[in-house]
Amino acid sequence: MKLAWQNIFHDRARFLATVLGVSFAVFLMVFQGSLLVGFLEAASRFIDASDFDIWITARGVQAFEFGATLEGRVREMAAGVPGVVETGRACMAFAVYRKPNGKQQVVALVGADSNLGKRFPVPELVETTESRSPDSILYDASDRNLIEVASLPAEVEINGHRANIDHEIEGFGGFLGVPSLFTSYRNAAHYLGFGPEDGMYILLRVGKEYSVVDVQQNLRRRLPEVDVLTREAFAHKSRMYWVIKTGAGSAILTAAVLGFLIGLVVVSQTIYANTMENIEEYATLKALGASRVFVARVVLSESLICGAAGSVLGLFAVVPAMNYARSLIPWIQTPWWLPLIMVGLSLLMCSLASVASVRSALTVDPGRVFRA
Amino acid sequence: MPNQFLAVEDARISFGQGDARVRALRGVSVAFERGTLSLVMGPSGSGKTTLLSLLGCLLSPDEGTVFVDGVAVNELSASEKTVLRRQKISFVFQAFRLLHSLSAIDNVALGLEIRDGKRADKMVMARELLLQFGLGGKLNHEPDDLSPGEKQRVAIARALAGNPPILLADEPTASLDAEAGRNICQILRSQVDQNGKTVVVVSHDPRWKEFADRTITLSDGQMKPQAQGQHA
Repeated sequence: MKLAWQNIFHDRARFLATVLGVSFAVFLMVFQGSLLVGFLEAASRFIDASDFDIWITARGVQAFEFGATLEGRVREMAAGVPGVVETGRACMAFAVYRKPNGKQQVVALVGADSNLGKRFPVPELVETTESRSPDSILYDASDRNLIEVASLPAEVEINGHRANIDHEIEGFGGFLGVPSLFTSYRNAAHYLGFGPEDGMYILLRVGKEYSVVDVQQNLRRRLPEVDVLTREAFAHKSRMYWVIKTGAGSAILTAAVLGFLIGLVVVSQTIYANTMENIEEYATLKALGASRVFVARVVLSESLICGAAGSVLGLFAVVPAMNYARSLIPWIQTPWWLPLIMVGLSLLMCSLASVASVRSALTVDPGRVFRA
Repeated sequence: MPNQFLAVEDARISFGQGDARVRALRGVSVAFERGTLSLVMGPSGSGKTTLLSLLGCLLSPDEGTVFVDGVAVNELSASEKTVLRRQKISFVFQAFRLLHSLSAIDNVALGLEIRDGKRADKMVMARELLLQFGLGGKLNHEPDDLSPGEKQRVAIARALAGNPPILLADEPTASLDAEAGRNICQILRSQVDQNGKTVVVVSHDPRWKEFADRTITLSDGQMKPQAQGQHA
């Protein structure tokens, strides 16, 4: 272990180059991973935010953002199925928003009943000291510049109807490129011109004594003209649609995979080159009678020290980069497990690369140690 | 073979294949007596270093037997050879082969660490060895800060750390000036006379003849008739 530290301190320039290589790789992997994870989470954010077990959608709906209206009878029939203890509605459609200054802007209007879940952005559920009308409008902080309201509350228009924006929320910035507005289902349906009983998404809560899958099967038999999906299945479907079937999603997925592979290659190559620099010395150790374990321990220690230092530097670099990126890309997300996995994989690659490079030293070539 | 302390018996070894095949040793038999300094001479490519590699358990012969401390090493596994090398054999190289990141004392202590990792007095022993070779003022100097002669003395101290009975030296004076070279010759000779070490030196340097008990000459992978060393 002392030899490993001494090797590092003796050649600081090489150590720095190795650490920078590893830190770049960790930075790349965490950043690209954050883009992909954030995109996937954003693709199913509204579905995941609901507490209900089953979603009913029009046939063929691929994602929350592209729903179609359902007749009011669907909700009534679903409510009558054994096991369904509560129903709710949600909708999302594009609308024309007229700002207080008279300019127009296309927005994504999301409406939901107040019983969908505490995490769903519905006016009545947003915790505040002020009393709030269920028909008030919320927007995400990341859309502030596009919403352009100087102060709250502000009177605006949505699809020609007067509306009242009165609160800013966080965590629901979208990737559609247009701002999102949130309101009650009743209010959204009014702005969007739905019939009073129409729905876009019917959500169902299943009683604890019932199996969600059994209730789902029963609903499918009774409502063959619509799609009946568990919350998890609809969230998965939505994520797969966005990441596989759209160009933007495919680009993000490809970039993440490439970033991951490039990161691992950079780590491996950097550590391999670093170990090969000292290969003559490892061969000398072996000639002097050092066991394979002794040599491998020195090599592994040095690689893991470089790997750990590079990982820490990479993580320190990624924090401000992510904060800045979040101001431009509100949906980017770095879950706690992502850096851990990337650092773990980097250290694993450090170990594998160093062991691979030192194999030649472990089988001593006499020509190597006797060469002048 | 009467003396099997350190010996090769009818050793043959080749490298490469087809037209590129080189027969490095062609039936060499030689025994080195305990407590002697033997000089192996011969032109480049005569098989001197290959012989040293066989004696140091770094190579195995294609045919023939190698004995170290009475053990036929051909039968040993790679890890058993490593253990034997650790306990019985040490090397001195032409290029010193000191670890560049370690100080002189740490290099010697590393030799002790390899031979006896549990030993608590490694630094004390390393210091004593370096003092013995007149390097008391250079204990914490790194190899890059030492002269070639000093480097070779550190390398010899490392080789002697742990007290192995056999010392194999490959051109130990080739990189040194006349005075430093003579100093190294005297040090190795004294290890034979005072500590009973068995030293085999491979060298082109004729100065060694003065210090050797006998001289063995290799030519084209075969031994020439032996000559007594001047020291004897």
